[in-house]
Amino acid sequence: MELPHVFFFGINVVLFGLDLLAFFALYLAISLTLNLEFGYTGIANFGKVLFIAAGASVGGAFAGRFAAWIFNISTQGDFITYNANIMPQVNAVLNTSVPASIGLLLISVVVAGAVGALFGFLFSYPAIRLKQDYLAMTLLAMAQFFQIFLNNYYPLIGGSLGLELPDPYVWAGGLRYVVATGVLVIFAALVYIYCERIAHAPLARTLRAVRDNESAAEALGKDDVAIRRKTLMVASAISAIAGLLYSFYTVDVLPATFGRVVWTFWPWVIVIMGGAANNLGVGIGVFVFWFMIKAIDSGKFVFSNYIPFDVTWLEYLLIGAVLISILMLRPEGILPEKSTPTLSKSRLRTILAKYGKKPEDSPQASSA
Amino acid sequence: MPLEAKLSGKISGLQPFMADAIVYGCLFALMSIGLTLTYMTTKVPNFAHGSFVTVAVYLAFTLYHFDNLPAYYSIPFSFLLVGATAAAMYRLILRPLSARGASLVSLMISTLAIDIAFQGIFGIFSDTLSNVYKVFNSKFFLLADTDISIFGLRGLVVIAPIFVVLVTVILWLSLTKTKFGIAMRAAVENPSLAGVLGINIQRVYIVSWFIAGGLAGLAGSLMVLWLPGNPHVGSDFIVAIFASSILGGLFSVYGAVIGGLMVGGLTVLLTVYGSELLGSWVSAWEVGMPMLIMVASLLVVPQGVTSVNWKRILTAFRKR
Repeated sequence: MELPHVFFFGINVVLFGLDLLAFFALYLAISLTLNLEFGYTGIANFGKVLFIAAGASVGGAFAGRFAAWIFNISTQGDFITYNANIMPQVNAVLNTSVPASIGLLLISVVVAGAVGALFGFLFSYPAIRLKQDYLAMTLLAMAQFFQIFLNNYYPLIGGSLGLELPDPYVWAGGLRYVVATGVLVIFAALVYIYCERIAHAPLARTLRAVRDNESAAEALGKDDVAIRRKTLMVASAISAIAGLLYSFYTVDVLPATFGRVVWTFWPWVIVIMGGAANNLGVGIGVFVFWFMIKAIDSGKFVFSNYIPFDVTWLEYLLIGAVLISILMLRPEGILPEKSTPTLSKSRLRTILAKYGKKPEDSPQASSA
Repeated sequence: MPLEAKLSGKISGLQPFMADAIVYGCLFALMSIGLTLTYMTTKVPNFAHGSFVTVAVYLAFTLYHFDNLPAYYSIPFSFLLVGATAAAMYRLILRPLSARGASLVSLMISTLAIDIAFQGIFGIFSDTLSNVYKVFNSKFFLLADTDISIFGLRGLVVIAPIFVVLVTVILWLSLTKTKFGIAMRAAVENPSLAGVLGINIQRVYIVSWFIAGGLAGLAGSLMVLWLPGNPHVGSDFIVAIFASSILGGLFSVYGAVIGGLMVGGLTVLLTVYGSELLGSWVSAWEVGMPMLIMVASLLVVPQGVTSVNWKRILTAFRKR
C-alpha cells in the first residue's frame, strides 16, 4: 500500500502533515515532562537532551543486540562493525512477524524508561540538594558530557558514526511512517492524560508547594529533595522513551543529533511560550512552535537566493528574540497557570449548587 | 616515556603539554572571573558568557585577516567591544526583566535565549565572510603561527600568565583601595543598605557587566593564538567556565582565578598522565574533564575551594 500524493504549491501535503504530526507528538511528550519539572515543581532542567539521548542510545545499544540474540542471528562477535549486515537480517524477521515487532518495541520502551529514571537519579545526584541554579548548571554540564561520551565511546553505539536500528514498523511497508507517527501520537496522548491526572490530583499541590515555598512544604512534612528527585526521575523516564521512539522513527542514532539547542532549548521555548504549569497551554505552544519551524523550513528556498547565509541562522535569531519578547511582554505564556480542582467541573457544580453558591465563589476554584 | 623522565627530564624550553596546561589555566581564569563577577553582583548565571569569547575571537580574526593586525593588538578593541556588548545585554534585557520581578529561572532562560541568538549572529557573520568576502576559512581558522616567540617559547605561554597576574592585581587594588571598588563590594554584600547610603547600585551592576565582558574579550583575543577558532568555540567552553567558577566558590573573584587555573591545568594534566597510565583512549576525553572536575568539586567542596578553612585543616593535620 502506498500513501496518496496530494500536492499544494509544490509541497506534498500528506507528507508535510504527517511529518508535522510526528514532531508535534514527540515534542508534546517532551515539553509536558519539562512542564512537570519546571512548571509544577520548579526544577530548571537544562539537561533535557541528556535523557532523550539516553533513550535513543538504548535503541542503538540494546534493541539491535537484543533482537539479534533472540532471532539467533550471528553478530560475529562484533555488533558495531557488522551492524550494516545484521540489521537487514533482523528486519527480515521483523517483517514477517508483527507480534515480534511489537514485543521488541515494548521491551525497548521498558528498558529505555528504566535507563531514563536511573539517569535522572544519577546525574542530578551531585546537585539536587544545592540551590536551583547549581542543579541547572550541573544538568547542562552532564548533558554535554553525555554527548562527548556517546561521541567517543565506540562499543556502545559506534561513536560519532552512530548505528542503524532494527525497524519495528517494517511490516507496515509503504505505510511505515503512518504507523510510526501513530505510535508517537498514542504515546503523546498517554503522557498528556498522565500529566493532566497529576495536575488534578493532590500531588500537584504538593509539587507547587515545593516550587513556591520550599521551607513551608518542609514544615508540613514534605521531603522536598525526595519530591524533586522523584519528579526528575519520572520526567526523565518519559523523555527517554520519547528519545527511543524518535530513534525508531528515524531508524538510526547519531550522537551529533543530540545538541542542546534542539532538544533542551526548544522544549523550554515551547513551555515558556505556551504557559508553564498549564498542560493545555503547552500543547498549544508545541503546535505554534512546530508550525512556525516547519513553515520556515518549507519556505527556505524562497529566501535563500537573496541572502548570503544559511536561513537556519535566521531561525536561531528568531527563536531567541521570540523567547525574550515573551519573557518581557507575557511571562505567563499563552495560557497562564490556572487552578486545577481535584473534582470534575460537573461534580463541583452540583455540590456548590446544593449550598446555593456559584462556582466562582468556591475557594478551591478561585485560589491559584 | 616513563613518568619520571617526563616530569624531571630536560626542559628545553618547556614540555608542550605543560605550555598547554599553563595557557588553558590562564584562559579559564580570565573567563571565569567575568562569570563569577556578574553572578556575585546581579545573581544571574550567565549562559551566554561563552559567546562573549566568540565575539572577541571573530573580532581578532577579522582584524588580522583584513588589516593584518596581530592578535595582541586586538586586545583593546575586544575589551571595549565585548564589554559594551555585555553591558548592553544587561541594560537592555536583564535589567528590565528583573525590574518586572522575573525569577532566577527566567533570567537563566533569557541568557540561554541570548546565547542562541549569538549563535545565529556568528553563523550569519561567518557565512557572509565566506560567501561575500571569500574568506573560506571563516568557520575554522588558526592564527597560532602568527604568535611571537619569547625565549624560544610561544609568546602566549609567557604573556597569558602576565595578563592573569595583572588582572588579579588590578582587581584586588580597585576592590580594596578605590572608592568605587569598595562601593562595589558593599553592593554585593547588601544592595539595599548600599543604596540607602547613596551608592548607585545600577551603575555598579553595569560596570561589573562591562568588566566581565571585557575580560571575556581579552580571553578571546588570546585564545585565537592557541586554539582553532570556529562559530561555537566560546559556547563549547561554557561548561568549563562554570566548572571553574563553581570550584572557585562563585562568590569570590580570586576564587575564580584559582578555580580557572586548577580546572584548566588539571584538564590538560589529567589527560596527559591519564593516557600515560591508562592508555591513549583517555586523550579523547579531554573535553569531558572539566565536567568530571565540576562533579567532584560539587560532591567534595560544594561551596568552592575558597570556602574551605585551610588553616583549621592544616592545624588539625599538624596535631596528628
